[in-house]
Amino acid sequence: MALPTSTVRPDDFDPFWEGVLAAADRLPLNATMERLPLRSDPKVDVYEVHYDSLDGIRIAGWYCLPTRRHGPLPALLQLPGYLQDPPIPKAAARDGYATFGAAPRGKLRSRAQFDPGYPGLLTDNITDRNTYTYRGFYIDAVRAFDFLRSRPEVRPDRIGLTGSSQGGGLTIAVAGLRGEQVRAASAGAPYLCGFMDAIRLTRTYPYQEIGDYLRTFPDSADAVRDTLGYFDGICFGPRISCPIIVNLGLQDNICPPETGYSLFDAIGSPDKKLYPYDGCGHDAGRALHEPVVDAFFATHLKGEGEENGA
Amino acid sequence: MPDPSFDPTACPGDFEAYWRDLLEELEALPAAVAVEEIPLRSNEFSTTYGLRFTSVGPYRLFAYLSVPVGEGPFPTLVYLARYASTVEVIPQGDADEKRGRFAILSLAARGQRNADRPWAAPFPGLLTEGIDDPRSYIFRGIVADCCRAVDVALSRPEVDASRLALLGANDLPILIAALRPAASHLVATPNLFHRAIDRAALTDAYPLEEFNDYLRLFPDRRTQVIATLAYFDPIFFAPAVRATTLLLGGRPEFEGLSRALAGPTELRPSETRYKDGVFQEEWLSRGLGFDDAILPAAWRG
Repeated sequence: MALPTSTVRPDDFDPFWEGVLAAADRLPLNATMERLPLRSDPKVDVYEVHYDSLDGIRIAGWYCLPTRRHGPLPALLQLPGYLQDPPIPKAAARDGYATFGAAPRGKLRSRAQFDPGYPGLLTDNITDRNTYTYRGFYIDAVRAFDFLRSRPEVRPDRIGLTGSSQGGGLTIAVAGLRGEQVRAASAGAPYLCGFMDAIRLTRTYPYQEIGDYLRTFPDSADAVRDTLGYFDGICFGPRISCPIIVNLGLQDNICPPETGYSLFDAIGSPDKKLYPYDGCGHDAGRALHEPVVDAFFATHLKGEGEENGA
Repeated sequence: MPDPSFDPTACPGDFEAYWRDLLEELEALPAAVAVEEIPLRSNEFSTTYGLRFTSVGPYRLFAYLSVPVGEGPFPTLVYLARYASTVEVIPQGDADEKRGRFAILSLAARGQRNADRPWAAPFPGLLTEGIDDPRSYIFRGIVADCCRAVDVALSRPEVDASRLALLGANDLPILIAALRPAASHLVATPNLFHRAIDRAALTDAYPLEEFNDYLRLFPDRRTQVIATLAYFDPIFFAPAVRATTLLLGGRPEFEGLSRALAGPTELRPSETRYKDGVFQEEWLSRGLGFDDAILPAAWRG
């Protein structure tokens, strides 16, 4: 299944992102939290959070805390799919994690100032790495991680990342951008990896948005390829140092599994494991894989002998 | 486990009048369809249009319409409102080449993207919007929007009215097939309204958790909520549904509903996205008159 990838890591990939991170780190989060009685229940307190991100854009998220807690909690950052309206991550909070559901720019509740739409987000400013949507989108996810690290009820050395599809791609990006601060990561069916291979291997949306763009603007092919090199999960791979698991569906009709193999090869962490699921599409074996993910985070975030993080 | 059997006594006494009133309200409003080509989403197989039209309220809606290149009319797929803010030209993961075979209309109902002015739907939150009164419940309008989408599809010369399928990963295709009996086929996963409160009590997962959230905060409204939802339970629409039906999900509580549908019905247990997807594509292609299905590359061979 593994094929040589056509993705080329730009020579200035690391300086580019160090510059973006430096600009982001100069911005205070200015986070606000409001408890939502409608969504809270006896086991979970649910908060709506807003914080500042690049380009002066205010970003939203759901923050869930177990109501019964004693001492700092392990935490999970849940990252959303491309079309997904970020769900309230109550289930992980019931399991004892402080859990944040991120809504990067353009998602519901984070689109008052920026909204290229769906379809559309994937190719918004795609010919310029300095204004491409995903420059800010990735940083919005990074700052959700920063929000968790800033919370007094969270153990800053026990924060994990998880998501599938675009959530998997964002998991890879944040793990690469926050490096050793990330304790563990689980990426399913990762999107945003091997862009140019993906549009050759499949003709389905959302990657088809790039195909639409190139058909309409054929002269922009080189600029598109150049930009995407800075945002390709495969290029973030060498920066990842935390324990990480990746699950793929071998019949994935949205994110070709070949690109997932290329990503896995590129991941720099020595503690990495791949779970390919035959007979599965973009779900990437979710039903079979969920217990694997639960056990992985219990080991790396809760530690031996810790009872439900409480 | 909720009792899956059909309970006719729970059907509201004014069920027929409630829906007749809505359809009459819709009938009184011109659709006022406006059409604009979208070159960015057109390709060698198809031309894509953005349609705007009016539903009850009045409320202006949006739909993508992808029409195959060549001589029509074409068998048509109508994607009704999904439980999400986003609306696609063709569902994520479907082979783009399908657009060369089928006319495809994808509706943005009130509150969804491209139809979110003046009102943007909250997710979560849509499922309980106005739920205290069946006249104000948001899904009354959304059902009207779906009926109007079918009307607009049928008004198009490119659409083969004898081969029209309604699709959606929720209950709406069943409701709309009853209210707009032109559909020849439907594919549905009745996961929102069929015995909704019974099923919500068994889960803490969204979207059904929205009902639990609401009743936790407003326990004294339980009777009104149940009364409103009764107008939307597909079991009460089922006897009027004559379309050939595929129910995806196959949960035990859907067996009673499957039996209540008047047309030929297949209940398919869910396995994986790949296996469910191949099954649905082949089922639909066969039903609409084709020997083969157009599958995405990862599903071929």
